[in-house]
Amino acid sequence: MESNRQPSANNPPPKPWERAGASSGPAPFKPPSAGSTSDVVEASGTAKPGEIVSTSNNNATINRNALSRPVPTRPWEQNYGNSNYGGIGSNMGYNSGYASGTYGSYGGVGGSYGGIGGVGGSYGGVGGLYGGGMYGNSMYRGGGYGGAYGSSGMYGGGMYNGGLGGSMGGYGMGMGGPYGAQDPNDPYGAPPSPPGFWISALRVMQGVVNFFGRISILIDQNTQAFHLFMTAMLQLFDRSGVLYGELARFVLRILGIRTKPKKVQPPGPNGLPLPEPHNPHVNQNYIVEAKAAPSGSWDNVWGTDAGK
Amino acid sequence: MPVFKTPFNGYSVKFSPFYESRLAVATAQNFGILGNGRIHVLDLPSSPSPQISELASYDTADGVYDLAWSESHESLLVAAIADGSIKIYDLSLPPTSNPIRSFLEHSREAHSADYNPVRRDSFLSASWDDSVKLWTLDRPTSVRTFKEHAYCVYSAVWNPRHADVFASASGDCTLRVWDVREPGSTMIIPAHDFEILSCDWNKYDDCCIATASVDKTIKVWDVRSYRVPISVLSGHGYAVRKVRFSPHRQGLMVSCSYDMTVCLWDYMLEDALVGRYDHHTEFAVGVDMSVLVEGLLASTGWDELVYVWQNGTDPRAF
Repeated sequence: MESNRQPSANNPPPKPWERAGASSGPAPFKPPSAGSTSDVVEASGTAKPGEIVSTSNNNATINRNALSRPVPTRPWEQNYGNSNYGGIGSNMGYNSGYASGTYGSYGGVGGSYGGIGGVGGSYGGVGGLYGGGMYGNSMYRGGGYGGAYGSSGMYGGGMYNGGLGGSMGGYGMGMGGPYGAQDPNDPYGAPPSPPGFWISALRVMQGVVNFFGRISILIDQNTQAFHLFMTAMLQLFDRSGVLYGELARFVLRILGIRTKPKKVQPPGPNGLPLPEPHNPHVNQNYIVEAKAAPSGSWDNVWGTDAGK
Repeated sequence: MPVFKTPFNGYSVKFSPFYESRLAVATAQNFGILGNGRIHVLDLPSSPSPQISELASYDTADGVYDLAWSESHESLLVAAIADGSIKIYDLSLPPTSNPIRSFLEHSREAHSADYNPVRRDSFLSASWDDSVKLWTLDRPTSVRTFKEHAYCVYSAVWNPRHADVFASASGDCTLRVWDVREPGSTMIIPAHDFEILSCDWNKYDDCCIATASVDKTIKVWDVRSYRVPISVLSGHGYAVRKVRFSPHRQGLMVSCSYDMTVCLWDYMLEDALVGRYDHHTEFAVGVDMSVLVEGLLASTGWDELVYVWQNGTDPRAF
C-alpha cells in the first residue's frame, strides 16, 4: 500500500469534526464547487495572479462603509489630501507644522531619535510616539489626554505622524528612480555598482521607518499595557522632579536660551569660591555648606556646573 | 510537561496535522521589531520527560510571525515572514535546499498563514498591507488578492467545512467573510470597537465564528444573524492576541493575551472561563490545540519558551 501512495493523496488523519454531524442549520454559503482551488477561482473570473497591492493608492474602489471609527494613519504612508481620512487629515496640518517649524523637514525622525540619548531627549522621543501612534489617533483621539498634555507640545504634537509620514513620502519617490531599470536578480550583465551615499542613507531611513512602523503596530495592538507603562514613567519622572525641570530646560534650549551664563563662575554659598580639583580643603568646606542650603530651592536644579 | 527554550521571542506555535508529537514554532529576534527569525520543528518525547527534541530549524532574514502546516504533505510548512514574503519549507529536504518557495508579493509584514483544511491544496496569507492573498502550490504567483480592509489584516482563517469560504480579522475593526468565487466580501461584521487581532471558526458549527480584540474581549458570532454576538467573553486583562476553537469539543476555545495568560473558554456555559494558565512571564502570543490528541495544548510567548501540556495539568510541572 505504501508504494502507490502519491503526494497528493498523502492526507492527514480525518479531522474529529468531519466524523460529527452537520451544523446547526442552513448555512448562508454557496455550495462548494468541484475541482482544485485555482481552477475554481479561475472559473469564477475573479483570479488576478500575482497582484501587488500598494497601500498608497488603495482608496479608489474600497468599500469602507462598515468602518465603525476612523482608521489610524500608518507611519509609512502619507495621507495629505486623502479625503477618506477627514479627521486625521485635519490633524496633519498641525503635526507637519509642528515638525517643520521646530526641527526642519526631518523633524519627526530627528526628534524621536535624538530623544533616545539623554533624559530630556528621550522624553521627546517617547512623547512623539505617544501623541501620534496612540493618543492622537487610535484610542484616545481628542479625549482627556489630548487636552491635558496638549499644551506641552509633546503629547498633542504627534511628531510621529507628521514627521515620519512626511519624510517617508518624500524619499519614496526618490527610491524609484535609480532602481527602475535594474533587476537585482538578473543573472546576466554586470553587477550593480555600489549604492551612492544618498541611496544608502535612504535605505537606512527605510529601516528606521520600518522599525517605528512595527513599534507603532505593536503599541496599537497593546494600547492598555502601553498606557500603563507611560503612566508609570510619567509618575516616576514627576516624583523624582526630573519631568518639569528637564522639560523647561529642553524648551529653553530649543528657544536658544542658555540656562547659565558661562563667563564667570559665580561664588559659592557664603562667598566661598566654587570647588576646584586642586583645592581639597575648600572642597570639604563647600560640601558642608551646601548641605545647609534650602532643599526646596530651584537654584540647584541645573547643577552648579551646567554652564561648562 | 515538556518545555523548549527558543533563542528568539516566540510568535506562533502549530501542531502538525499528521504526527501527534510534532509541532512547529515561529520566532523573531528582538520581539519581532528588528532582526532575524527562526522556525523550529520540534518532536515531543514519547515517554514523559522534560526534553523536547528539535527536528529541524530554519533561519530567516526577518522575523517569522506565523506558520501553517500543509494539510496535503506531511513535511511541508508555510511561513509568514515579517518582510512580507511567504516561504515554504520541506522537512524532507536538507536545510541547504530550503526554503523550496519564496513568494514576495505583500508590500508589508505578513502576519498570518492558514492552510485550507477541506480542499487541502491552497493557503491564505494576511498582511499589514491590508490584503489577504490566496496561494496554491501549482502556481508561481498568488491566485487572488482580497483587498477591502482599510487597515492591517491580522488573521485569515478558512472555514473548516466549506472549501471556498474564509474569514479575515482586521485592525479596521471589522470581520469579513469571503467566498473565493465572489469578487468582494460576502459579509462585513463590525465586530468590535477596537482592532480585531484574531478570529477562528467553530469546527462543529460552520456558521459560528469567534473574534479576539484589543478591547480585551472575545466575541462569538453567528454569521446568519450578526447584529448581536452570541456571547461576549471577558476575563483577559489586556488585548487578546489569538483565539482557537477546539477540534474536539464544540464550545471549547483557547486564547492567549498580552496579559501573559492563556485562557480556556466554553462559550456555551454560564461561567465561560473554564481555565486560566499564567505560566508565561511575557506576552503570550501563540497558542494551539492538537487535532490528534484531545486536550493537548501548546503555547509560546515573548519569554522565549514553548510549553506543551495536557489540559488540566500545570504547564510548568514535569
